[in-house]
Amino acid sequence: MATTKTHPKTEWDTLHNNGPFPLKSLHITELEGQGNLPSKIDRYNDAAKEIRRLIKEAHNANQGFRAYGSRWSMSSIAHQKDQMHYNGFMNIGMSLSPQDLHQNSPYNAANLFLFECGNTIKRVSEVLATHGKSLKTTGASNGQTIAGCISTGVHGSALDVGSVQDYVVGLNLIIGPDPGDIVYLERHTQPALSNAFAQKIQAKVIRNDGLFNAVLVGLGAFGFIHGVVIEAEDRFLLKRYVRKVKKQTAFDLAKTMDFKNSSFTIAGETDAQGKGKRPYHYKVFINPYPNTDECIVELIYKKPYAVPYPDPFPVIKTSIYKDLIYLLIKISEQFPKSIPWFIKRLEKTILPAVNEVSTGTLAETFWDAPYQGPAFACSVGVSHTDSPKALQVLTDMTKNEGPIPGIFAMRFIKRSKGTLSFARFPITCMLEIDGVLWKKTNSIMSLTEYSRRMIQVLQQHNIPFTIHWGKNSDWDFPGLIPHMYGNDATSWKTYRSALLSDNMQQLFSNDFLERTGLADKQQQIPPNLIASLA
Amino acid sequence: MKFLRIVLPILLFAFFVLLLFQSCYSVRLRSVNGAPMPDPLSTRTDYYRDMQVVELDTTIGIDLTTKDFTLLIKETDLCPTGKLHTVEYRSTLGGVLLSGITFGRKRRVRIKYVCMKPTN
Repeated sequence: MATTKTHPKTEWDTLHNNGPFPLKSLHITELEGQGNLPSKIDRYNDAAKEIRRLIKEAHNANQGFRAYGSRWSMSSIAHQKDQMHYNGFMNIGMSLSPQDLHQNSPYNAANLFLFECGNTIKRVSEVLATHGKSLKTTGASNGQTIAGCISTGVHGSALDVGSVQDYVVGLNLIIGPDPGDIVYLERHTQPALSNAFAQKIQAKVIRNDGLFNAVLVGLGAFGFIHGVVIEAEDRFLLKRYVRKVKKQTAFDLAKTMDFKNSSFTIAGETDAQGKGKRPYHYKVFINPYPNTDECIVELIYKKPYAVPYPDPFPVIKTSIYKDLIYLLIKISEQFPKSIPWFIKRLEKTILPAVNEVSTGTLAETFWDAPYQGPAFACSVGVSHTDSPKALQVLTDMTKNEGPIPGIFAMRFIKRSKGTLSFARFPITCMLEIDGVLWKKTNSIMSLTEYSRRMIQVLQQHNIPFTIHWGKNSDWDFPGLIPHMYGNDATSWKTYRSALLSDNMQQLFSNDFLERTGLADKQQQIPPNLIASLA
Repeated sequence: MKFLRIVLPILLFAFFVLLLFQSCYSVRLRSVNGAPMPDPLSTRTDYYRDMQVVELDTTIGIDLTTKDFTLLIKETDLCPTGKLHTVEYRSTLGGVLLSGITFGRKRRVRIKYVCMKPTN
């Protein structure tokens, strides 16, 4: 049977050193060996039983319980001060057959796969590749677990695809310590798997669009996500270009998404009339400090899969990047006026090389991103139509009140159906500033102060915005969640209160949810709110 | 005067030799496929953050008739798959000289490796 080792701990940290945060104990669960329990379904159910046992122990101890995978989030969203569970070894993956599908399923069985929570994006891609399939999109890398991705809304810059959660069609949750606390959720308008399959994983089925959309970006608050059913597609290639263009051109594209009528085109990526094709991915990099009228853009076009194609991998990787930048930032803490000079000198290291071209699969294009030292990232979502204005006001604030050691980028994603997805606009521009974590000194403001100013500046200029759940921000900012999500935040909390018992709402809560008001229990729950509708 | 003419040069030479022996470089090999074996309890802050790293720093002795040496990677708690994901070897001048002086009978081995994470 699955076994768990429990380790007493005093603290826990994110991958990028944004903590540390207090912790009492850390659980690590490993699955039963395949030699002892060959059936994947049996091992999957065996693991579910073990998780229920851990939930029961936490409940009996009156403590909180929260799962995490790769701890890539930089906010404290993944943290629980009592008990945390590392689920990276829970990584079963399986394809599904036509017999597993619901009778009204709109999906092709060959495209559906069930992945256990601890599968990383890389592992998911590898499993899919053995079936000639691919994920539709990922974040900019591959180390996050599938459950972590959807819980926080991980995204890339696929204009017409969306975020990772947008190709999830089924969710298997463990919402309590009892055998009846295993549920399988789907949309009732787009059912995926049959009741018989749900019985195989010993789950009660709830098909309900509202509940499913609430749980989709669930912030770890709806229970333990044990499994995720995703819809993949046939594998494809991505051809990536990096170009230096006039800022006005880049911003016009960001605002209009009109690649067809833009003066900017890439040879080979035009239609028969010579008009620019719409890319799969568009990203703009902006160093906020120099007064230059040019910036770097990255465009990726989707191509049919065909071999051979040029090897996209670099042969040798060096570690100069981390050490050099980290050293310079240490200097910058004392001499912040030097930050723009340093960033300008490091542009070639930080930014992709101009005129770079590569071709590879999605998994190859967004390959491993090795740890490069303590880092921060602040990321706000705005309508793409507001993106040039938002960039301008945030750049002005950064220059006037900073500088801080980071550079801006803009990525674009289609609206998500997730109730609390930060991709709320028809095309959301994720405007982010990434860099190396610094410490507040007399000369440079703190990261929390900087992110508070981002919120204030956007509010002052009446730019509607959201904030990436997994990124740094002043999450204690008064009224932040209602300002960003309005009634959707209340709806999300109501679905949570309807699905979880009072005790389990408490158990699956954490400091982040309490500070943001998202852990509040809702008393007025409409009858049949979470009834299965199909 | 004796110190300046004799002892100091000797000390400087010894220091230089010491530095030379420690001068080294490392080369890292990493599979493009698979994931490194994770170590959720690790507190490392280097390239191997979150990885289960096995470090070997030893000198092996082999007899004159043996042509080469093979280190076997076996299935252990730190390496449940027995398959390699990342290998880093470090070469020092001291190690090269040791091998040369002993005609290859003593070999300095400084390796870090990370195994593949098990799949299911």
